[in-house]
Amino acid sequence: MNGAWAVFVKELRDAVRDRRSWTIALLLAMLAGPVVFVLMSNFISGLEERVAEREVVIDGAANAPTLVNFLQRAGAHVTEAPAGYLDRLRSGALGNAVVRPPADFEARLARGETVDIEVVYDESHDKAQPVVRTAMRLVESFNRELGTQRLLARGFSPQLLAPVALEEVNLASTQARGAQLLFIVPWAALIVAVFGALSVAIDVTAGERERGSLEPLLANPVDAAALVAGKWAVVMVYSAAIVLLTMAGFVVSLRFVTNETLSALMQLRAREVALFAVVLLPFAALMAALNMLAATFGRSFKEAQTYVSYISMAAQFSALVPVFLTVRDAAWHLWVPSVAQLTVLMRVLRGEPVTAAHLAVPAAVCVALTLACLWLQARLLRRESIVFSRG
Amino acid sequence: MIEVRSLGKAFVAGRRTLAAVDEVSFTAADGAITALLGPNGAGKTTTLRILATLMKPDRGRATVGGIDVTADPIGVRAQLGVLSDARGLYTRLTARENIAYYADLRRVAAADFARRLAEMAALLDMAPLLDRPTQGFSSGERMKVALARALIHDPQHLILDEPTNGLDVMSTRALRQLLDHLRRRGKCIVFSTHIMQEVEALSDRIVIVAQGRTRAAGSAAELRAATGGGSLEEAFVRLTAAAVPA
Repeated sequence: MNGAWAVFVKELRDAVRDRRSWTIALLLAMLAGPVVFVLMSNFISGLEERVAEREVVIDGAANAPTLVNFLQRAGAHVTEAPAGYLDRLRSGALGNAVVRPPADFEARLARGETVDIEVVYDESHDKAQPVVRTAMRLVESFNRELGTQRLLARGFSPQLLAPVALEEVNLASTQARGAQLLFIVPWAALIVAVFGALSVAIDVTAGERERGSLEPLLANPVDAAALVAGKWAVVMVYSAAIVLLTMAGFVVSLRFVTNETLSALMQLRAREVALFAVVLLPFAALMAALNMLAATFGRSFKEAQTYVSYISMAAQFSALVPVFLTVRDAAWHLWVPSVAQLTVLMRVLRGEPVTAAHLAVPAAVCVALTLACLWLQARLLRRESIVFSRG
Repeated sequence: MIEVRSLGKAFVAGRRTLAAVDEVSFTAADGAITALLGPNGAGKTTTLRILATLMKPDRGRATVGGIDVTADPIGVRAQLGVLSDARGLYTRLTARENIAYYADLRRVAAADFARRLAEMAALLDMAPLLDRPTQGFSSGERMKVALARALIHDPQHLILDEPTNGLDVMSTRALRQLLDHLRRRGKCIVFSTHIMQEVEALSDRIVIVAQGRTRAAGSAAELRAATGGGSLEEAFVRLTAAAVPA
């Protein structure tokens, strides 16, 4: 490994002087925490407000005083639907469900008929879901109350109509629902590990080709493996610095979160931060090597960016696989980089036990793949088509 | 001493195979400047890249200071200075830092580095450049830095690919002074060019290469005599034209 140190020192100096890429990386690292937390706390406060309010919007409250009376007794706040509410539901401007009794509601009720009550909502808006459920449940309670009254009026026991009593026991509190969003934090950290040192990775590989400095560099009596090792070490240091800075950003910005549910949910103490670092650093090492390998095929910075973007995209999206999979914690998750990191970091955030295997398997996979990438790259640097074709 | 014997190297481009170097042989002695003279595409650059161990020959043999380029490439690189076709510098580093990088890669002692850099800065008239970032350097300034970088380990052998390309009169003069200085110190110098005028001014021995083959070798006077007198240019035209198949 003669020469690797000289390469490391030179590339580090070169990277530090590249102020533009530094600034972008720093901004990325420092903004990730605040942005994520602001979005999350907005979302959670939104959930909380609506549930707390138990607001029910009715189109034509005047047509159904009986229903309105019931809703008010049930503690709901009843409002009349605004004009053009259909469009506003679709756009998400109105995040509620609208209860729509027919115009002849009271008359049909009086005749003892079945009355259709529509509950209008737009399922594509996430925030609507809890409110819709509240509205439906209230209408159903109204239904039960009415049915019971009618049976009693005819001298039957209401129990005849309810051989089975369905009781919902929903374990998910607001906190648990907020926890569904928890993946955003490790995902953001993962993205920083993917992108943080990208410009350095390209500069030390395709950059050498573009500048025409690769050919004279390879004329030095230094093994290609030593060159690759020195360059990788710089990308790794850079990447690690940005990942750790992002973690610091998370911890600091968490102190400014006022939403109680979120701050209870997001436990980022020393233990969690340490685990994040342990999980993310081997992944950052792999991304450094993989990005360098892909960028080596680029004759210019621009061409390299194209190749590298495929990797970044794959890493980002595959990380989301466990979020949308119905099977949680399948064994193979630990063997696939980015899927593994997200899986383990989610366990850390949820406060679930993290075993040695959770840390060792993904790290070993990353280290093995890193070495493979570096070996391949050293071979590439001996290939004439790489050394002599310039951008 | 650099020895090249029956070197051959072909490139595959699509379904066609192109012989860049077909049959090149020459010897470059110590204490002398040898010019590879030939038209564009004659195989000069490929020959120099094989000498620099950056390409592997398909056949033939090349040695630098007695070391075979394919058997021990690292050994060859250790005693060779190369001014390649590509002279990329690191633009965020100063000229001094660019040169120091290669000195570090070659484990040149700090005292030797300082002494040689001062010597070359005087010979190449580049002292004012040393502490400027190389971003925006002219081609002459870039050549000076690249040359100093290639010589910082004081190699016994030096190969230069089209060293005068894009240089103005003053830079060419500085280059000539440095090469003269190195020759007097007994170094073995090989450079390639397609420019007739600089060959006579710079070299002791000329090797004419065309279409991947060595056509003739000798001093300028010998080559002129061999083709029946006249200018070197005429000799060159006759020697290379004879090779062109009808």
